[in-house]
Amino acid sequence: MRIDYKLQDKFDFGIFIPLLLLYCLGLAAIYSSTLNNPLAAGNFQKQLIWGCGSLIIFFITYSLPTNTFRVIAVPTYLLSLLFLLLVVVVGRKIAGQKSWLNFGPIGFQPAEFAKIGMVFGVSYFLSRKNTDIESFKDILFTLGIGLLPVLLVLLEPDMGTSLVFIGTILVLIYWKGISLFGLFLVLSPGIVAAASIFGVVYFIVMLVIVALALFLFKKDIFFSGSIFAINIGAGFFADYVFRALSPHQQNRIQSFLNPSADPLGTGYNSIQAKVAIGSGGFLGKGFLNGHQTQLQFIPEQWTDFIYCVIGEEFGFIGSVFTLILFLILFLRIFKIAASTKDEFLSLTLIGILSIYFIHLFINIGMTVGVMPVIGIPLPFVSYGGSSLLVNMFMLGIAANVYRTKRNYI
Amino acid sequence: MSNSRAIIIIVFILLVFAALVIKLVDIQIVRSEELKYYAQRQQTNLEKIDAERGMIYDRNNVLLVYNRNDYSFYLDLRMVSNKGKKKIAEKFSSVFGKSKNYYYNLMSDSGKIICLEKKAPGEKAFLLTNFKINGLFYKEDPTRVYHYGDLASHVLGFVGTEDQGVNGIEKAFDKQLGGENGTRLVERDAIGDMITVAEEETKPAVPGDNLVLTINKTYQAILEEELRKGLSEYGGTAAIGIIMDPNTGEILSLANMNDYDPNKYWEYSDDERRNRAVTDTYEPGSTFKSITMAALLDQKLVNENDKVFVENGKYKFKNISIFDTHKHSWLTVKGVMEESSDIGMAKLVQNIDDDLFYKYVRAFGFGNYTSTDLPGEVKGKLKKPNEWSQFTKTFMSFGYEVAVTPIQLITAYSAIINGGILYQPQLIKREVSHNGKIVMEFSPKEVRTVISPQTSAEMRKILVGVVKNGTGQNAKLDFITVGGKTGTSQKLINGSYSKSDYNSSFIGFFPAEKPKIICLILVISPEKGKYGGFVAAPIFKNVAQRIINTDVKYFQDQQPDQMKKGNDLKVVFADNKKNGKENLVPAGKPVKILGDNLGAFATDEMPDLINYNLRDGIKILNRLGLKYKVNGSGIIISQSIKAGEKISKGLLCNIDCKEIKINGASVY
Repeated sequence: MRIDYKLQDKFDFGIFIPLLLLYCLGLAAIYSSTLNNPLAAGNFQKQLIWGCGSLIIFFITYSLPTNTFRVIAVPTYLLSLLFLLLVVVVGRKIAGQKSWLNFGPIGFQPAEFAKIGMVFGVSYFLSRKNTDIESFKDILFTLGIGLLPVLLVLLEPDMGTSLVFIGTILVLIYWKGISLFGLFLVLSPGIVAAASIFGVVYFIVMLVIVALALFLFKKDIFFSGSIFAINIGAGFFADYVFRALSPHQQNRIQSFLNPSADPLGTGYNSIQAKVAIGSGGFLGKGFLNGHQTQLQFIPEQWTDFIYCVIGEEFGFIGSVFTLILFLILFLRIFKIAASTKDEFLSLTLIGILSIYFIHLFINIGMTVGVMPVIGIPLPFVSYGGSSLLVNMFMLGIAANVYRTKRNYI
Repeated sequence: MSNSRAIIIIVFILLVFAALVIKLVDIQIVRSEELKYYAQRQQTNLEKIDAERGMIYDRNNVLLVYNRNDYSFYLDLRMVSNKGKKKIAEKFSSVFGKSKNYYYNLMSDSGKIICLEKKAPGEKAFLLTNFKINGLFYKEDPTRVYHYGDLASHVLGFVGTEDQGVNGIEKAFDKQLGGENGTRLVERDAIGDMITVAEEETKPAVPGDNLVLTINKTYQAILEEELRKGLSEYGGTAAIGIIMDPNTGEILSLANMNDYDPNKYWEYSDDERRNRAVTDTYEPGSTFKSITMAALLDQKLVNENDKVFVENGKYKFKNISIFDTHKHSWLTVKGVMEESSDIGMAKLVQNIDDDLFYKYVRAFGFGNYTSTDLPGEVKGKLKKPNEWSQFTKTFMSFGYEVAVTPIQLITAYSAIINGGILYQPQLIKREVSHNGKIVMEFSPKEVRTVISPQTSAEMRKILVGVVKNGTGQNAKLDFITVGGKTGTSQKLINGSYSKSDYNSSFIGFFPAEKPKIICLILVISPEKGKYGGFVAAPIFKNVAQRIINTDVKYFQDQQPDQMKKGNDLKVVFADNKKNGKENLVPAGKPVKILGDNLGAFATDEMPDLINYNLRDGIKILNRLGLKYKVNGSGIIISQSIKAGEKISKGLLCNIDCKEIKINGASVY
């Protein structure tokens, strides 16, 4: 018997239409911001071509048998590690970062590829029948699988992407169903580590809180003691890493604390971004009329600061519209993830959602001044081939799961 | 996958989105105006537009000083690649003729902006218009051009590096010449490159006014040539010459030798750039006797035919001795002047009391500024009667114990011979705005009447006698009667009179009956000749002769009001040095003359400028409101906007000029 499905049962327009609109918004913003910049003259065309290629990838991914993802999960993870190693060894250096691999004329950022690799790897491990998220050993394994690419990414060094990875790992562990104590166990070293960067006082205060929490969880003294020791170790390690960071990255973290103290220094971009968006007002200055954009007050605006262009030229209406598109997209992905019975697919989709979400939060957060300036792109909107390609591929997985949802729900 | 976890995630996502929207409301709606203002402030700023400096003409509208549009080339070493440096070295060395290594050396620095070529002339800069290298940029950098080099340098002065007048007219009239700088609102991008100019908020620069001087370029050239010749003939540390119209106080020429080239003022010392005619004083010696004599005659205390015993050349006055060069026993008052007898003068001056004598000397302008427009003028030294010693009046009568500037002396002499009126020396005839409107017409300024016309007439007669029969015979001209007085004074060096250093001077005027020209020549420390009559008088004679030759009619014509008014193109024979003749003849055929028909040009169509001289061409272009860039000087040989094309205000027309020669003459 032939069942006549409607198209929207197989194909989620709630994913595809926001995707298309975001891509088009990005194209318009790239066109506007590169119009007067001879150094970025071809970027609009390049993004157009990459976009077409990515859409093809999206549809291919969409139509693959859903089982493929589980099959390729481990090889993808290993391959992404290999690429990350390669880039550290032979990568091309751009703006102080070794993050590009060249395949003939095409440059590729393995860190982008590693995002999906890591999500596949962690999801695969967590969705194994015998994985117990409450066991100390399995938590360490999960963290190990997830943090290995982070270490390699940090070697490039690319702090923004590392943050995306760490956030995503936590979300995956959370989604797997870790207990409150387990989450505390995973989170506390991270928080202590972050506190240690802000200063000795914060570090000590956090340690006191951790000690208090350990007391409340009422575990045995030996176990609590070793957790506390891990926390102290994390703090010193973070401090060591912070010192090892390149000065401009240190400055970025510090300028986040007080961006207006040094308007032409490291806080410059943050202030200029705010000025650009703010001067757009409610309705915006109109396409190609954003003076901050056209006069290039913000360097490389077509990449990390693309949201400024939208904010300046299309105003409050435009920036909120963009946020709404993302919100629709995220809620759709979440709905699919939450309704998928297959644990691997559900974890993978949550991981993908987490990647998008952290990108969006850090990127838009830094443009409006609630986050430090950390260079990561806005998914589907920012200029950049690798990122667009990987993002479309990941969205293709979500669309694929939607297509075959009947098999898994 | 519990439901509670899903709800927590959804709530978290919604919270983050809500936070972002709230932040957007804050900056895009609440603080929008503030940030808009901030954006505008950093994107736009006011930029200064330099006003074009006014031009300077001589009394016959000969252009003496103008501005040439030069360009300075700069290189930002932070932006240039090694390949770019190589290209620059090659191109610049081929255009400017310097070695490649010269440029490589300049570019060996790093991390700053360097100047590759300062003030490159337009025609060279033109060769580089299509030469574009990252980091290479240029700026318009107009150069003040003193067209005749050292001609009238001390009158004109020069401008410093910031286009500010430093000396002479350039300094005295800095405000008028400088104009008013404008501003424009410029939108800049983050690197500071200019993007757009908001026309409506621009305050245009007002070009400086042009000045028409009382200086006669031809006379000036003659005076300078003769001074230079005289200086090489007689030696001496310096020579000063002033030519004036005694009836108005207009300075027709003023020169100091040695002079300097204002185009390259930095190559000369302050000493050479000093305008000694107004800044240096000297004890005038015998030339001052005319002042004493005029006072005595005006008070009718002596008569020109009175006789004085001049002691055979040696006179013991009180306890000092006075000597005369020419020994006589008896001289008439006229003879005292003709023979320049100090003894005679010393005796005659006893007839006038101290205060009255002082009053006359003061009335002639000594001990005070003449208020000439030239900067740096000094008052000289004139003691008040209560500071006088028993000898002061006596010595002053023949020009010692009084220090004067050349400009004071010639101004006083003008009063002596012009009927008794002291004029303020005048250097500017008129001030004309850039669009041709007369801002100010300067008329002669009478200071006071010093002596009666009868006294003045008597003085003229006496001074004619000096040249005819006395010490000034070397100044005698063939056809025109000259009056004048020689002066030889020992230089006061460290408080005592030098036996070897003299100031030799002559002041003469002609035609004697109705003087039109008065001329002072002063040679400081001549090595040969010593006496004013032997050194300065011959220089005067040459100057006078050549001036008369240039304008024979004017000096034969007895109507004084017919001062030459023509602004026609004139041709000066180039070899005037040889035969001492400088004839002015009308220009050759190909050169067009603008005259007064400026209004005849249509305002919307480009006129044919070719074969006009630059000065007239600029006049026409100014009238049409066109911008122009001039290459070269002389006669216009090409124009970038062809004749007959439609034009609108503000268009730029490039003009090429060339000095052309007609029958061995140069055209100016």
